[in-house]
Amino acid sequence: MKKRIRILLDNVIQKKHHQFRQNIEKEALEDFTRSLKEQDLPDVQRAKLRLSWVMAHEIPVILTDERIVFTKTVTKIPEIFTSKEWDRIKSNHYIHEMGRVCNISSNFSYTIEVGLEKRRLEVIKAIETQTARGNRKGIEFLEAVLQSIEDVLRLSERYALKARDNGREDLYLLLQNIPKKGAKTFHEALQFFRILHFTLWASGNYHNTVGRFDQYMYEYLKNDLDNGTLDYEDALELLEEFFISFNKDSDLYPGMQQGDNGQSMVLGGIDRKGDDSFNILSEMCLKASLELKIIDPKINLRVNKNTPVEQYDLGTELTKEGLGFPQYSNDDIVIPGLLSKGYNIEDARDYVVAACWEFIIPGYGMDIPNITALSFVKVINRAVNNHLIRSKDFDTFMENVRKEISVELTHLTILLYNIYFEPAPFQSLLMNDCIDNAQDISQGNRYNNYGIHGTGISTAVDSLAAIKKFVFDERSVSAKDLIQAVSDNFEGHYDLWVKLKYHTPRMGNDDDAADNIAIRLLDFFSELSSRLVNERGGCYRPGTGSAMYYLWHVKDIGASADGRKQGEPLSANFSPGLNIKLNGPVSIIRSFSKPDMKKIMNGGPLTLELHNTVFNNPGSIRKVSSLVKAYMDLGGQQLQINAVNREKLIQAKKHPEQYKNLIVRVWGWSGYFVELDELYQDHIIQRTELEL
Amino acid sequence: MSKGTVFNIEEFAVHDGPGIRKLVFFKGCPLRCSWCHNPEGLSFCKELMISHAACIKCNRCKEICTNEVCIACGKCVEVCPLRLRKIAGREYEAQELAEILLKGKEVLTDSGGGITISGGEPLSQPEFLFNLIDFIKPVNIAIETSGYAEPEIFQKMVSVTDLVMMDIKHTDNLIHKQFTGVSNELILANLGFLCQSDTPFIIRIPLIPGVNDTITNIEQTAVLIKDAGKLEGVELLTYHKTAPAKYQMLGKEFKPGFDTEKKVNIWSAVFDKHNIKVSLL
Repeated sequence: MKKRIRILLDNVIQKKHHQFRQNIEKEALEDFTRSLKEQDLPDVQRAKLRLSWVMAHEIPVILTDERIVFTKTVTKIPEIFTSKEWDRIKSNHYIHEMGRVCNISSNFSYTIEVGLEKRRLEVIKAIETQTARGNRKGIEFLEAVLQSIEDVLRLSERYALKARDNGREDLYLLLQNIPKKGAKTFHEALQFFRILHFTLWASGNYHNTVGRFDQYMYEYLKNDLDNGTLDYEDALELLEEFFISFNKDSDLYPGMQQGDNGQSMVLGGIDRKGDDSFNILSEMCLKASLELKIIDPKINLRVNKNTPVEQYDLGTELTKEGLGFPQYSNDDIVIPGLLSKGYNIEDARDYVVAACWEFIIPGYGMDIPNITALSFVKVINRAVNNHLIRSKDFDTFMENVRKEISVELTHLTILLYNIYFEPAPFQSLLMNDCIDNAQDISQGNRYNNYGIHGTGISTAVDSLAAIKKFVFDERSVSAKDLIQAVSDNFEGHYDLWVKLKYHTPRMGNDDDAADNIAIRLLDFFSELSSRLVNERGGCYRPGTGSAMYYLWHVKDIGASADGRKQGEPLSANFSPGLNIKLNGPVSIIRSFSKPDMKKIMNGGPLTLELHNTVFNNPGSIRKVSSLVKAYMDLGGQQLQINAVNREKLIQAKKHPEQYKNLIVRVWGWSGYFVELDELYQDHIIQRTELEL
Repeated sequence: MSKGTVFNIEEFAVHDGPGIRKLVFFKGCPLRCSWCHNPEGLSFCKELMISHAACIKCNRCKEICTNEVCIACGKCVEVCPLRLRKIAGREYEAQELAEILLKGKEVLTDSGGGITISGGEPLSQPEFLFNLIDFIKPVNIAIETSGYAEPEIFQKMVSVTDLVMMDIKHTDNLIHKQFTGVSNELILANLGFLCQSDTPFIIRIPLIPGVNDTITNIEQTAVLIKDAGKLEGVELLTYHKTAPAKYQMLGKEFKPGFDTEKKVNIWSAVFDKHNIKVSLL
């Protein structure tokens, strides 16, 4: 890493740029909102005025030695509706999260290529077309888009003047070219992206994903390298500065937790024509991320059967750092899954991941891939209470499980009626077809599908495996006793609890007794959700992600038939149940690749936790890579590996029941951390301390 | 058909041979190395292990026990609410064990990996070992051994194995006897055979401070192996002060007979001098 980058990075880590943040009074924000109400403006105009307000309040900041500028100084964005107005909207609309367009993937590349002056002409032409048609709403929308372009150009010009004042002729000249004209160099393209991304946040849109950066930026880099404008090291330096820029304002972005900001970047995979697309920029991105060791942008790697293991090695090097990425997605499973839901082949090949893991299409997708979540454990518990006693065999009981899933899906989706989003004119500029159709992205686009997460899948599978084994196959537990024990949270049912907890076949142990149930359960989910159509004419996409629902859902379920007691957590996403000892990673990847993941196509990774000492030598990097590759070759959909760190070890020591599969290297041998006695545990914790 | 006793199976052993490997530990060892970190691998019998740290003293284990002396029946394992007890050691038919190890074998073989047999001392259950290998082949097999076995057994093992990982603890017979309980004559004779064989092998040295970390011993070890055509390298395992805990779990006392606090000497340059690849695990 070059010295300049080290300094920029340190400054961001130390939050030195926070000194430029403005303290805008709450009253000023409320005054703005009130004025919108008093003028009784339609929502499109309010959204337009909000962006103008934010951009006008921004004060250009050029940090020392910065070559990619734009830093947020306005820390809060005003609402476009008063709280009373919002209440009225909520009373007859479904509101997704904050009611703003989010979690989609922009087409940055077209605007970066042609520049905003050309985009302005396009919008003006569209206004003429719509005027001829007398489409007043369309014109109103396009005028808002036009204004957003003016806002961006005006702030860019102010940045340019500030640069000149600061004696930064280089930046001044750069900002005279872009964003007015299309980018010619890698540097211009990066700065252009930064301006567009900055403006999305300023518009109130969030989870603004980065998409296939290594594809749409490649030509700029290649040209610069070919004609000698940049050498490799210069390019890497620019890229690293660009990566740092994602971390400047991220604490201001909305999200469930700090870091949940959706700045996902997708690298590699096949292109729209079906050819492999991993290139020098993909590799450079992995290198930059490895050198910087910061959490944004979050790296996703697309892989397929032709991906060489060396590419996985580059990913594993990142995993080793304990950053929690890359996350791997398997083209061979994801693309057919998208095709089955009506995505066209070129779009499907172009998929990216949303904020977390959901597969979405850049430019064309207005999918809401996280709109609701099915609690599998809740459904199973209801089936147990309502039907277990009367079910004559396991198949009959599973039919009832199927019915309960159907009931729950109806219950969940019936709420998703008359959805409303605030208009997003600037976001619309960055989506395909919105200008031509004179329609705001909030109204939908080529793809308008909804995704349903599924929580507690492994706990549900294990519960069903216990019921099959003990109630139906062995007939060693009566349905009545089981129901009673679960409802008593196993208090007073110790022997039964031991049986359920320690003798149940488990998903993750490569045991068909459990895995065949997982296949059936997920087939139910896919079949039943495929019958539903949303109000925008889109489909429902079943998935294995959990987001924060795995924490929320645990509150409304009691104990479960797998021996899990009330309040004990569900695992996140598509992962084995917690608090149980499994055979190991080979069994886990085999179990979790058995269901047909082409059908459960919304996304949601298997998470494996390996201790970071597993990564100690170059040989073990390849072994971890091979494990990831093996999962993909087996038909796995998505995977993420954690290199577990010291803090986690301390937690594992305090709560061993939650970390049963944590592997650590002790002395020439590996073992399960929680099985070690305190002396070992302390020793390993001390050792990680020394390694830090 | 023979039976054997095994005390553990791991699925993702990253330091025990190439690729993704399953690792099976045979129970029972003829050596008594004073630093042994797998004391449950010493006895050929099943043994009860108890993790005391988190015990809530509920006494269920005591209430269920009807034996004067522990016979490792496992009844108390079932009643412990925190699962702090386990029986180390389970008997398997060779075929049954092979089926467990071969489950998901494509994951192992596609990565250039396979199955590693360790212990204890795998060569101490020879009939079971060879039976097992017959079932496992042609999956890549690595054996971790102390080399303490009848030459006939050792040689047969070398001929049916893809990789041998053999320990050399000390070249001096007296010291070897003092710290491992056995003479090294058999081991060195077997090493001689290994060095002449066509089977790739790795030599492992557990570096024990004040016992075998002398320049003389390391130099002599290097000389023994330097001309072997199939030697892939030497792995040095440094001693960590974690061994006593497992002894407590077995109700045994850890008596190392050397100063565990002493800093260990790592003479890796000696191997460099002889053009032997060396790594520190």
